[in-house]
Amino acid sequence: MLSLNHFLLLGAVLFSIGLYGALSRRNAVAILMCIELMFNAVNITLVAFARFLAPAATASQSLAPVSTVGQVFTIFVITVAAAEAAVGLAIVLAIYRTRRTISVEDVDLMKW
Amino acid sequence: MNLNLLLPEISLCVLAVVLIVIDLLLPQGRKSILGYIALVGLAFPAVFTLSLAGVQQVSFSGALVVDQVSVFFKLLFLIAAALVILSSFDYTRRLSILQGEYYALVLFATSGMMLMASTRELISIYIALEFTSITLYVLAASIRNDAKSSEAGLKYLLLGALSSGALLYGMALTFGLTGSTVLNDIASALAQRGISAAAVLGLVFIAAGFGFKIATVPFHMWAPDVYEGAPTPITAFLSVASKAAGFALVLRVFLTAFEPAEKTWLPLFMVLAAVTMTLGNFVAIRQTNIKRMLAYSSIAHAGYVLTGLAAATAGATSGMLVYLLAYTLTNLGAFIAIIAFSGQVGSDQIEDYNGLSRRAPVVSLGLAICLLSLAGVPPMAGFISKVYLFAAVFDAAAKNSGLYYLVVIALLNSAVSIFYYLRVVKAMYFGPAATEESLHTAFSLRVALSAAVAGVLIVGIYPTPVMQAASVAAQVLFH
Amino acid sequence: MLTAYGYIAIFLVIAIGFGIVPLIISLRERQTRPDPVKLSTYECGVETIGPTWVQFRVGFYLYALVFVIFDVETVFLYPWAVAYGKLGLYALVEMFVFVLLLAVGLAYAWRKRALVWK
Repeated sequence: MLSLNHFLLLGAVLFSIGLYGALSRRNAVAILMCIELMFNAVNITLVAFARFLAPAATASQSLAPVSTVGQVFTIFVITVAAAEAAVGLAIVLAIYRTRRTISVEDVDLMKW
Repeated sequence: MNLNLLLPEISLCVLAVVLIVIDLLLPQGRKSILGYIALVGLAFPAVFTLSLAGVQQVSFSGALVVDQVSVFFKLLFLIAAALVILSSFDYTRRLSILQGEYYALVLFATSGMMLMASTRELISIYIALEFTSITLYVLAASIRNDAKSSEAGLKYLLLGALSSGALLYGMALTFGLTGSTVLNDIASALAQRGISAAAVLGLVFIAAGFGFKIATVPFHMWAPDVYEGAPTPITAFLSVASKAAGFALVLRVFLTAFEPAEKTWLPLFMVLAAVTMTLGNFVAIRQTNIKRMLAYSSIAHAGYVLTGLAAATAGATSGMLVYLLAYTLTNLGAFIAIIAFSGQVGSDQIEDYNGLSRRAPVVSLGLAICLLSLAGVPPMAGFISKVYLFAAVFDAAAKNSGLYYLVVIALLNSAVSIFYYLRVVKAMYFGPAATEESLHTAFSLRVALSAAVAGVLIVGIYPTPVMQAASVAAQVLFH
Repeated sequence: MLTAYGYIAIFLVIAIGFGIVPLIISLRERQTRPDPVKLSTYECGVETIGPTWVQFRVGFYLYALVFVIFDVETVFLYPWAVAYGKLGLYALVEMFVFVLLLAVGLAYAWRKRALVWK
């Protein structure tokens, strides 16, 4: 069956794809999407750890789990990532209004 | 769950929400009262924080910790927030910044930083960090219809989100390997199971995430651009409070959770400290924009502070705290003077500072004192804190001989830094003035500058109380 | 291990076959007598004008931003609702504070005319 390592590998691969995309894309929105991919890789890792570290809790039907820290962490990551993306898109909109571009190469009033 | 322990943060958030509501009800043109409300309202969190002095308690299942370290940092953040708000009165009126949101976000950011300083649990650390960061992204972009400000916000956000992705991945690995998010439990799990390669990977990712926050090499690239483009009071806030909050986290996480892995990260921080201060200082020399120059100087100062972490003794940690306080007062003073100048001169270029001492003698004197303090000239706070920190690092060198070289590098760097700070002082006092017309500085800016300069001189001349408070606080992290 | 993937493989084969086989049958059996009316654009009965990659109005994004924030924040309500019986008064008050903060956010968006379609 699928083991913890499979999920960790999936997380690591997704994280790397996201990181590569974030560093190589030139479109600000695309970079934001790649960063979201990194966050989701983290979520997979967290949930996998939480599931495999506390199998007894999830196997039993009780609502009082031994440890849900990993899942709680994931919920917070999802919400914070949404807030971050919203702020990011708002700033991108502000830039588009003044500059008519969202390519990070053209956003160069100050050198990187 | 003891809500009393959380009163400073709660009162700040309530104050910020109240500000937003008042802003919605106020008619246009009466908005400048919001700044005064924010400033006066800071008294509440200050009183609550002071009432927690000496308390040593953990609450919310280990997520919240109130001790001398957190109280020290909270007071530092409140001082920074007060000076930033005071120096924003004139600035927000002059540029098109929405005042209600601006002050509320400054208060939210402050409460986020306070949480950063008083938590020892990974989820809370992440939330506090992001709470602070997201508000600061918005603040950096808060000048409306200003391309540079939006650009600063976008760069800060993209790189900040990237680094928090790395931080999160490190946290996830650490959680998976130790089965806990509470720093003390992580430490005992690591001590028990040994340091695996995956644990080192988690540690490095976490260090990268924090490194962005405190702007160390190689995660410093955002600092100059963001500092240049952001509203100047926010630049000041970023360079002192946000950096100090980052250091509060670094101290807690590395001295508590990763204490068993000390052998791994001591050399890491030693190299980071040396590279960071050297690069910061040498690039600062070439800058022509004073905000960019101070950005690189703040990178260099992060390097100085990191030497304390590379030593990892109680003495060095107390040196870091004193240094951070002195640096906060000094850098705030310098930025307040810059706000005063740029408001009148309309430029941040160093060449436009020529002859300013004759046009605005008081503000020039304040800026000169702050720059000399940054350079580490007695009797300013910068000097005494440098001596205190480097002496403590030197003491620790008995067990780790690499620290001798680190102290030598730090001293050489301090000597180099005097050059570019003095260049500005020289321009102000001996440069040819374009006009002799005298400059009028807003009252609020004069008050803020005097307060900062007074702090710099008091800490510089009579540092004993600060040092005592810092060394008591540092002991908490080493018991 | 193998059997688990085996089920997925069988499932995939059946699923793909279910889509492709009818297409092949109809391709072989049908008669083709095209004329202009049959070849015209069928969807909604109107010819499309201009390229598909047009920019949407900025207003859509603002709406989407406001929606996403409030949508995601409700995530916190679910664990609270599930464990509500065990948490007691403290959690109830806490959740009221949380919803109150969201309400202030909504009031802010309203007052700043972010909800008005411009």
